[in-house]
Amino acid sequence: MTLVVTVGPVLVALTLLCLVPLGILFLYSFFRATFVAIVPEFSLHNYERVLSSGPYLRLILKALASGATIAAFTAVIGYPVAFFIAKRVRIVKAALLTALLVPLYTGDLVRIFAWRLILGTQGVLNSFLIWTGLIHQPIETLLFSPLATTIVLIYDYLPFMVLGLWLGLESLDDNLLEAAADLGAGRPAIFRRVVLPLTAPGLVAGALMVFALVVGDFLTPQLIGGASGVTVISAIADLFGAAFDWPLGSAIAWTLLAAMVAVVAAVVMLLRRMSWGDAMFGGG
Amino acid sequence: MERVLKSYFVLVYAFMYLPVAVIALFSFNSSEFMAFPMTGFTFGWYDIAVHDDRLLGGLANTILIAVPTALIATTLGGLAGLAVTRYRFRGRFAFAVLLIVPFFIPKIILAVAEVIAMSVVGIRHSVGTIVAAQALIILPFSAMVIASVLVRLDRRLEEAAADLGASGWQVFTRVLLPLMRNGLVASFFIAFVLSTSEYVVTSFVSGRTQPLSVMVASDFRFHLSPKLDALATLIVIANLLLVAISELVRRRAKGALG
Repeated sequence: MTLVVTVGPVLVALTLLCLVPLGILFLYSFFRATFVAIVPEFSLHNYERVLSSGPYLRLILKALASGATIAAFTAVIGYPVAFFIAKRVRIVKAALLTALLVPLYTGDLVRIFAWRLILGTQGVLNSFLIWTGLIHQPIETLLFSPLATTIVLIYDYLPFMVLGLWLGLESLDDNLLEAAADLGAGRPAIFRRVVLPLTAPGLVAGALMVFALVVGDFLTPQLIGGASGVTVISAIADLFGAAFDWPLGSAIAWTLLAAMVAVVAAVVMLLRRMSWGDAMFGGG
Repeated sequence: MERVLKSYFVLVYAFMYLPVAVIALFSFNSSEFMAFPMTGFTFGWYDIAVHDDRLLGGLANTILIAVPTALIATTLGGLAGLAVTRYRFRGRFAFAVLLIVPFFIPKIILAVAEVIAMSVVGIRHSVGTIVAAQALIILPFSAMVIASVLVRLDRRLEEAAADLGASGWQVFTRVLLPLMRNGLVASFFIAFVLSTSEYVVTSFVSGRTQPLSVMVASDFRFHLSPKLDALATLIVIANLLLVAISELVRRRAKGALG
């Protein structure tokens, strides 16, 4: 097996199915849409519309902020889970990791629908709260709210964060934790000065996955968030559907991609500067 | 502290399985409306689900799509895994980054880009376009699964074979391929499951032949019925079995760390 035989077909597939379509999308972002057709005249008109109009820019920023927020939530929730799998179990490790991923395989819509059953006015959560006597009237604002979207997004992407953190924690030497404790470090200090720096690569891998998946999530905000569910992704989908303005949709898509790349690049740069970036970049 | 950690762990897993449990619960509820209080126990929805001709047709399409998708994704993933773990070449880092690009691009953007590209070139939406689009999305997962097996293999076995006079092709077919077989099988199963559950890109590039995921999605929006809960429960069980098999196979890989 030579290098050409292995890399070649993969490169061809990635080029034809991913890079070329994205390139064509990029070309379209410079075209112009009329009522009936798309006119291939080059101009920066679409990008002007995206960057000068408040709504689209605000939606892009909202998506980035949402990605960062959910990544932070999943990190906080996920650290103890990943720690438990990496450091407290031996034989059932593989089974627990697999079990974490199984809900992912049920299909996006099935899961979202289940959450509607849970959060709905006559749903599981309201019924439970009424049964316990905590409330007497169902809370009607549970579903179709930003809170509901946040809960379901955390649910959807927590496994990716736990996987990343687990990879980091699995390679963390237990002796270091012991040594730190022996030298008098409390739990918070051990976490901040030993665990966090040494598992940073796993944390960053998990955070980048969650960030990208949340920014690109199509169904959850739309089906769970109600009126608050308009996202830059749903705006792009509209422009390619009912609104039929492919060039503007392409320009928004590419602005979003550029913004995502900028965020990822900024994170990497920041890590390089911080002392605990050393673990990731080979002591740079 | 240990008990707090353990309770917390159980709580998070309960959270992960809550939606699955709710779906399973309502699939046995005799009422047509999915709301509390429950009205009674029935297997009826399962009976209706497995006798629904439209959904059965969708299931056939799903398998028709998932098998070639899993084969292609596993082949490409295997090649990519070999390239990344067995060769030091210029641009290796760039190649690895390119490999995960389909994972990081928002699915809608990928979907519309592919739809535009197809309309420009003049390719009609069909089973083939679904297979191509899904294989691309699944490639990062396949490559990762196979690479995780390849990095654990002892390189000295390949070197020994080469020293004993085996050609590159012989080393591959007689040494490497048997050793990485479990990784390939695991990748096939995972790719199969991911293909059956993919919805967003599939719905954009599908033509008249619609897989179950697209049918179920439209039913969930427009023709809600506990029949769908029964179907979803069956799918979860089937996926659980497939994933369990693939995990067992992967763990049996020589030198598995467990």
